Amino acid sequence: MTSDRRAIREDGKRMLADARARGRVHLVMTWFALLWDLVFVGARHDLAQALRSVVRAPAVTLGISLLLGLGVAATTTLFAFVDAALLRPLPYDEPDRLVMMFESNVSQDRLREGASPGNILDWLDRNDAFDAITAMMTVSATLRAGDGGTPVAGVHVTRGFFDVYRRQPLLGRTFDAREFEGAASITSRQASSGEPVIVLSHHLWQSLGADPHLVGRTVSVEGREWSVIGVMPEDFAVPDAKAAFWAPWDMQTSYRGPRFPQGSPRDARFLRVVGRMKTGMSIEGAEARMQTLASGIATEHPETNAGWGVRLVPLADEIARTSRLELLLVFAAMFCLLLLLCANVASLAIARGVARAREIAIRLALGARGTRVTRQLIAESVLSAIVTIVIALLLTTWWVNAALSIAPDGIPRMHEVAMNARVATFAAVLALLVTAIGNAVPTFRASRTPIAGALKDGVAVSASTSGRLRGGLVVAEIAAAVMLLVGAGLLARTFAELRRVDVGFETSNLLVLRITPDAARYRTGAQTSDYYRRVLTSLREVPAIESVAAVTSLPMSTIGSEFTRPYWPEHAGPERKTDASIRMATPGYFGTLGLPVIAGREFSDGDEADAPRVVVINQKLASSAWGNENPIGRNLILDYQRGPYPYQVVGVVRDDRHDGPRSEPVPEIFIPHAQNPYLVLNVIARTTMDPMAVAQAARASALGVDPDQPVHSVTTMEQLLGDAVQLDRFAMLLITLFAVGGLMTAAGGVYALLAYTVVQRRREIALRMALGASPRRIAGSIVMESLAFAVAGGTIGMIGAAAGSRFARTLLFGVAPQDPATLVTAAVVLFLVVVAASWLPARRAALIDPGHAMRI
Amino acid sequence: MPDKPRDVGLLLPLKPKVLHILLAVADGPRHGYSIMQEVLERTDGQVRLWPAALYGLLRELEKADLILESDKRPAAAEDDERRRYFALTLHGKRVLDAEVRRLEAIVHHARASRALRKVRA
Repeated sequence: MTSDRRAIREDGKRMLADARARGRVHLVMTWFALLWDLVFVGARHDLAQALRSVVRAPAVTLGISLLLGLGVAATTTLFAFVDAALLRPLPYDEPDRLVMMFESNVSQDRLREGASPGNILDWLDRNDAFDAITAMMTVSATLRAGDGGTPVAGVHVTRGFFDVYRRQPLLGRTFDAREFEGAASITSRQASSGEPVIVLSHHLWQSLGADPHLVGRTVSVEGREWSVIGVMPEDFAVPDAKAAFWAPWDMQTSYRGPRFPQGSPRDARFLRVVGRMKTGMSIEGAEARMQTLASGIATEHPETNAGWGVRLVPLADEIARTSRLELLLVFAAMFCLLLLLCANVASLAIARGVARAREIAIRLALGARGTRVTRQLIAESVLSAIVTIVIALLLTTWWVNAALSIAPDGIPRMHEVAMNARVATFAAVLALLVTAIGNAVPTFRASRTPIAGALKDGVAVSASTSGRLRGGLVVAEIAAAVMLLVGAGLLARTFAELRRVDVGFETSNLLVLRITPDAARYRTGAQTSDYYRRVLTSLREVPAIESVAAVTSLPMSTIGSEFTRPYWPEHAGPERKTDASIRMATPGYFGTLGLPVIAGREFSDGDEADAPRVVVINQKLASSAWGNENPIGRNLILDYQRGPYPYQVVGVVRDDRHDGPRSEPVPEIFIPHAQNPYLVLNVIARTTMDPMAVAQAARASALGVDPDQPVHSVTTMEQLLGDAVQLDRFAMLLITLFAVGGLMTAAGGVYALLAYTVVQRRREIALRMALGASPRRIAGSIVMESLAFAVAGGTIGMIGAAAGSRFARTLLFGVAPQDPATLVTAAVVLFLVVVAASWLPARRAALIDPGHAMRI
Repeated sequence: MPDKPRDVGLLLPLKPKVLHILLAVADGPRHGYSIMQEVLERTDGQVRLWPAALYGLLRELEKADLILESDKRPAAAEDDERRRYFALTLHGKRVLDAEVRRLEAIVHHARASRALRKVRA
């Protein structure tokens, strides 16, 4: 063979020499031809042999590749999310210079508040650490396109917005300085001084028909015509993927006039602020400068700013903040599972390697060179890697899309998740790696088997060295499966508890509609009140509707204006100032919702705009402000709208879990809608039958009052409650999937090990049977062996679960981390699976022919 | 190895490249490069053999006992000790003969075909 190689080399040289004489083109072509010849024809022999061995045992090779491919695809699918959320840089110019700016007050333990308009104006004027700073605020607005209105999220942005993000539009242009001048807020009843302009998000542009000529035309938002000047690229999602359009906003315009004698307020901290630091500025340096600035402002305005500083957080961290830990935990869990899978495959491959040891030993004994055998093994591994990569890529493409469709909202930068080159590369590299771990290494070990030993009948060669290791692996797999099982059990119980928890009101037979009237049409409070009065009256006449009411912010609903304002009980004075959530409700709201009025009364038609100012409070606020005393008839001071004014408490209602079953009650103040006529309301209707059956009639009835006003998001309270636990459902499903994967891995491990043991011990077993042991007894001994693994792995797993569940405490609800029922169930499931996995090897052991013992 | 007549029919038809290699060594032992040259020349440059493929085929043919590595070498002046010479075996000769006869029969049939005559006319 070596002489052939030399001859090939010599002939190749000669051909090159001939080609050189005939010109450069010939030379290059000959080079390529020779290379092709060498690589694909020379190596063909090994690949052909590898292919033959695959064809001979396709189930094993394909099975292993499929297993590994499944593992790689699952890991890669998670990687696609982790990559988008945590690893890939933000799609803006020099994203490291972008920071989120919070106001923070250590003594009040309010560390991450938004910024107030007044303070932001000072920051803009006086800071020396930033190239640009922008403030933004998202509002729900109504887009009118063709058939009625659609609610969309509009974002007000102040002057520096595109200087901070520095992103070029896909079409058209972004705002110029003039367009910010005097621009009023989107939903405001004031008119802007200039022509209103907006920049559309990619998804809104798509939903409007993706017409490139839309730029320059107008769209109707909140009853006003806005001229579209640009469209942003698909991955521009500021502040999040829901943003449908951006509109310029001159903050000062909104805070002029008699309502704001002090100008822009400093104590309403609600704006999201992002800044672009100057080149070379560190985040610590910028924060130090901003602190100095903030303490200056605090000295000038102690009543609003004492104790308030500035906190900076890198924008990338802020975007990933909510789910960094969860994402990494899930990814780490998947990775561990993949490693266990590799271990299993390695275990199988070792067992197979032992079976092949004879084949290899014979070939070596007949004079095959070591390198020849190695080359064939490499070829086999390459083949197996290629199959694994193909399977992994196909499954990943499929699963990434599937995962996107079931993943809950709120995973950061989810709109950037896609099957792209990075994800594909990750899958390919991982597939290569796991093939190497799971397939190549054990095979190479087998190729180094001593010839003499392997040629003897039925002697397992690598048994003694790897037996303990493989036993350890199986115990680890069982332990991991137990931990995942316990996790799945705890989350399943959590989910059940969440569905059962009393949220404080009657959730069944409650229909929900949302109405977003046109600000241009209903300019005054009186007009708004009148509109809603007519809508509610019309709805009351729909058959099967018992009662109807409306509120600004409905429990379990994420849409609605949710905000807090400072208040204090009149007798205590402003030192007792704390915040309460403010909601505007129409008469009959508590009765319709089924939220019991504990003391006093509910709002009535008498609580009109010019009637005495009254409020209904919840128990939480009542007890914190007045303790055990009766609050009815007392006054509380609420700093809202035109400053601190007294309001008389006329009723106390039961606490509810406003933000979902997990949330704790917060202090709440309800104001009669007529006394503060908010434009956008959630309408609820108590029905005598399935609320969705009434939905069409109810919507039609509401539209009958004014067909131009969008009545949308028709749903039921049950549905909202389901949405509120969507994340919990997702977590439960995810960990259940993991637990199933873990269990299957453990079962596979147990099976592979026992099957191997049986082969190894078959002469001993045959001997015992020849000496009179019953097949039943033999099978029993194999099952007992599996149970030993189950006990060892189960114990370790339970200890691990107990330790790990402390970290998972925040995920749990209504169930203790060491819930005995869950632990027992996990143990029983594990026991059954392990016994099932050992059944086949045990049966095979029981069927061993005692005559086998006679052959030497 | 004692030569016993084997059923040559099993090996037919020969792959075109194999046929050319056997023809090239039919007149006497040749080394690899000379086989390539000979085949290239006989086929007017239509069939080009590349070294790795050629030696792969040569080893296969050797295994099938159609050729053998020859000890007969040319005079020392023309020789190169790195060269490996291959010659046709008796079995190889039979196979080549059978293949040529098979092809002749095909050509004969083709000539007799009226359709082909028309094309030529």
